[in-house]
Amino acid sequence: MRARRRLWLLVFLGPATLLFAVFITYPILSSLAFSLYGWEGIARRGFVGLHNFARLFSTFPYSELLVNAFWHNVIVFAVTMLVQNVIALGLAVLLARSVWGTQFYRVVFFLPVTLSLVIVGFLWALFLNPVFGIVNKLLTSAGLAVLARPWLGDSQTALLTLTLINAWRWLGFPTIVFLAGINAVPDDYLEAARLDGAGEWEVFRRIIFPLLAPAITIIVLLTFIGSFNWFELPYVVQGVSGGPNRSTDVLSLMFYRMAFGEVDTGLQDIGIGSAIAVLMFILMVTVSAVGAVFLRRREVELA
Amino acid sequence: MSRSRWSPLIQAVLLVNAVLVLAPMVIMGLSAFKTTQEIFQNPIGLPASWRLDNFSRVWVQAHFAQYFRNSVVVTVASIIIIVAFGAMAGYALGRFRFKGNDLLYLYFLSGLMLPIRLGIIPLFILMRDLGLLNTHWALILIYAASGLPSAVFILTGFFRTLPSDLDSAARIDGAGEWLIFRRIMLPLVRPAVVIVAIYNFIPVWNDFFFPLVFIQSDRLKTVPLGMTAFFGQYYTDWATLFAGLTLAALPVIALYVLLSQHFIRGLTAGAVKG
Amino acid sequence: MIRRVLVGLVTVLLVTSFYPQTASSQGPVQLTFWSWRVEDKEAYDRIIRVFEQRNPGIKVEFVPFRATEYNTILSTALTAGKGPDIIHLRAYGGLETFTAPGYIAPLSFESVPELRTFSRQILEGAKGKKDGKLYGVPFASQTLVIFYNKKIFAQHNLKPPKSWDEFMTVLKTLKDKGVLPLANGGKEGWTLEVMSGVIAPNFYGGTSFFDAVTRGQTSFKDPVYTSALRRMLELRPYMHQNFMGVDYATMQQLFISEQAAMFVGGAFEIGFFRAQNKNLDFDVFAAPPLKAGQTPWVSSYADGNYGIYAKTPHMDAALKFIRFTATREFGQMFADMLAQASAVPGVQFKDPVLKHVMELARKSTPYVMLVGFRWQAPTGSTLLQSGLQAMMAGEKTPEQVGEEVTRGLSAWFESFRGR
Repeated sequence: MRARRRLWLLVFLGPATLLFAVFITYPILSSLAFSLYGWEGIARRGFVGLHNFARLFSTFPYSELLVNAFWHNVIVFAVTMLVQNVIALGLAVLLARSVWGTQFYRVVFFLPVTLSLVIVGFLWALFLNPVFGIVNKLLTSAGLAVLARPWLGDSQTALLTLTLINAWRWLGFPTIVFLAGINAVPDDYLEAARLDGAGEWEVFRRIIFPLLAPAITIIVLLTFIGSFNWFELPYVVQGVSGGPNRSTDVLSLMFYRMAFGEVDTGLQDIGIGSAIAVLMFILMVTVSAVGAVFLRRREVELA
Repeated sequence: MSRSRWSPLIQAVLLVNAVLVLAPMVIMGLSAFKTTQEIFQNPIGLPASWRLDNFSRVWVQAHFAQYFRNSVVVTVASIIIIVAFGAMAGYALGRFRFKGNDLLYLYFLSGLMLPIRLGIIPLFILMRDLGLLNTHWALILIYAASGLPSAVFILTGFFRTLPSDLDSAARIDGAGEWLIFRRIMLPLVRPAVVIVAIYNFIPVWNDFFFPLVFIQSDRLKTVPLGMTAFFGQYYTDWATLFAGLTLAALPVIALYVLLSQHFIRGLTAGAVKG
Repeated sequence: MIRRVLVGLVTVLLVTSFYPQTASSQGPVQLTFWSWRVEDKEAYDRIIRVFEQRNPGIKVEFVPFRATEYNTILSTALTAGKGPDIIHLRAYGGLETFTAPGYIAPLSFESVPELRTFSRQILEGAKGKKDGKLYGVPFASQTLVIFYNKKIFAQHNLKPPKSWDEFMTVLKTLKDKGVLPLANGGKEGWTLEVMSGVIAPNFYGGTSFFDAVTRGQTSFKDPVYTSALRRMLELRPYMHQNFMGVDYATMQQLFISEQAAMFVGGAFEIGFFRAQNKNLDFDVFAAPPLKAGQTPWVSSYADGNYGIYAKTPHMDAALKFIRFTATREFGQMFADMLAQASAVPGVQFKDPVLKHVMELARKSTPYVMLVGFRWQAPTGSTLLQSGLQAMMAGEKTPEQVGEEVTRGLSAWFESFRGR
């Protein structure tokens, strides 16, 4: 009986585990191992221990670039949380009120999430083109010419602009998740509160928001992971160098650059690239784990 | 009721957002009918004439039909494997108690955090050794593997919520394990299966990084990869480019619009269960 | 449900097995030829057909990839031991990255006698730095110049300037008349590097500086170099108001649609300008020196090479093709169809603008970073590009740029250490 059960477990768990181990775990571990070797261009040389990490942290310009990129990832996370997720929450609250057109809005808001990031990046790059783009043209014709800046070309505004483009594309997702969470709040709680004379804001703060804890957990974790893995959009819009002047450089871009070289100017440094990958890996695992535990605890407390 | 007082304002906000969301896509669609010069000079307006030659250039010259077929094959195959393997694993993890259950679950979940891009060079070497370079299988296996974490996450959650006596009752009746899984459990988690399918469909269809590295033959390319060829070949032929982008976006949008009710319903259920 | 899954899997298997993995058959030898020149596919296909007619038994497939991804794809393929037979390669440092690990087959005057006729300077871009061996057949030389719209100049009674002051006058006149003088922008760092390659040589003394800096006798902190960079700042008022957001494609559009009078760029634009706007009446001039009367320097460099994969199973066929690319016939077709400066000696350049460029190129100086400082990471180009972006945005001074470039390069260029 025992053996039979064990066999079935193998049958059910085997395929998925095998596939995952061979095509995800193994390559990533190998890649991390690469950080401990020396590389000449694209050929692997001898074992060098932590030499690549030492180089990453102490040579110019790598150390500066690393801090720069990391800091940008942090900014992206913060801005996304504050802008994208807060707006999503607001929209979800509004949608939950079943006004006319809720079905329509739900479908529409999620639409950009289905678009490829190549399409999104390209579209917005064209819109924000300082010479031909409609954004500046509209701003100028509305008398706001002072705002008609090279949004993607100015190192002060490029990262924020990209983050907002990203938010445009992703907004629908947290909106739907929060909406689901709000809809799950039992009506009697809300009725009771309202009967007690609580205003809408009170109802939200005291009842809805705490009960949204699971949804918030998911969104915060996914936002964190997304912000630190951010690659496609900056790659498509600003190029692999994270220009202008590294103002949109993020960790994934730096990894890609080091692993494969810039278009035809920079050269590869796979050792450093792999070292960056190791750092990213450690960062994401630790913060995700800690964050998950913390958020889970909060969920339990509030439920 | 406060509801009716705030209604117009709420409508306004939602409408504004809807416009912001739709406008770029509408413009993309309109631009597909213009000439390149027209796009630069008259971005928002309606096209001077609704020319279809951009689309025909994309469909014929750029082999779009071929790319479309390839995208379908790769995406559908990946989704099938994700759902099949994910459901099996989710079932075992969600309904059987065994040593290492939690560990295995976390193991799968860890995959959510890692950008598989980090492992591109070893992956390439692996595919070479397996003789899968320049085949669709290279893509299918990678997509399937990377879709498993989310599938396991969602499906395990759903399987856990099913009443515990369901399978014991069936077992007492003498039903085999596989039958229980297939006939009883699986149909009950259909909404989760739909979510998993749609959730993975979008990134797999839209991915261009892996086809880029693993596919060299033109006849095997997927849509996003075929489109990036435009970026070089048509340089700044924005007109053809927009037509291509519109065509590339259409399938996913169409599918989404058709299935949106299912999806939203499913996502609703899943999110609540956490 | 399972039945559906099975049917699906079987269908997929059938469909995908439709595509054979590798065609290992008898019959013609199949060579694959990888490149980043997606724009040139048609021309290459036509040229290859000529070769195939001459050599029945050899078929060549030209497979281009987007330039931004070419490095990735080539790197991963070579690392995994599965490269194409014929490879379109860069020159100098970009070549070294593939030859040092031994992925490219060395050539010689014996195996490719046609190479004997090539100029020595161009062959420098085809050599590996470590062993000095030849690794490819150079395919083009590129020269950096200033394009100008003849019609606009005529409308405002302007002539190509012969001195820097004249240049400033031309720019100012155009701006006062409401014409955008320069199409250039700063969003893509490499376009600024090109601009420095056009403007700076006359101010830092051309080849003598290049020789000094590559020998380590001076560095990029040298005031001669930083003051040359400073000249670029003088061009800022004459570009688009928001030029830092103007990318390469927009630059080209501005010049092609005749909204801008001048375009600082490389001779490789000629073919594209013509293809996009047949009516565009344009010519070139070299960036002017400080005082009239001196012949101006123009930066030039070997653009790249055609090489053979070291582990190709079809070495004989590949060599035949490589030798073909070194013939005057190939070079002539190349120049005629693509309006590019073929590296093959003796080719007649029929395009009048291209001819003019080649005349200017008689006083050429190496394009500093590309030729001299791309051997290791961080390359001179990477450092200069982000530095120039900061400089043109007013965030850094030319001296700071020079200092950063020198410091970054000192990681592998020993002579810069302690400067």
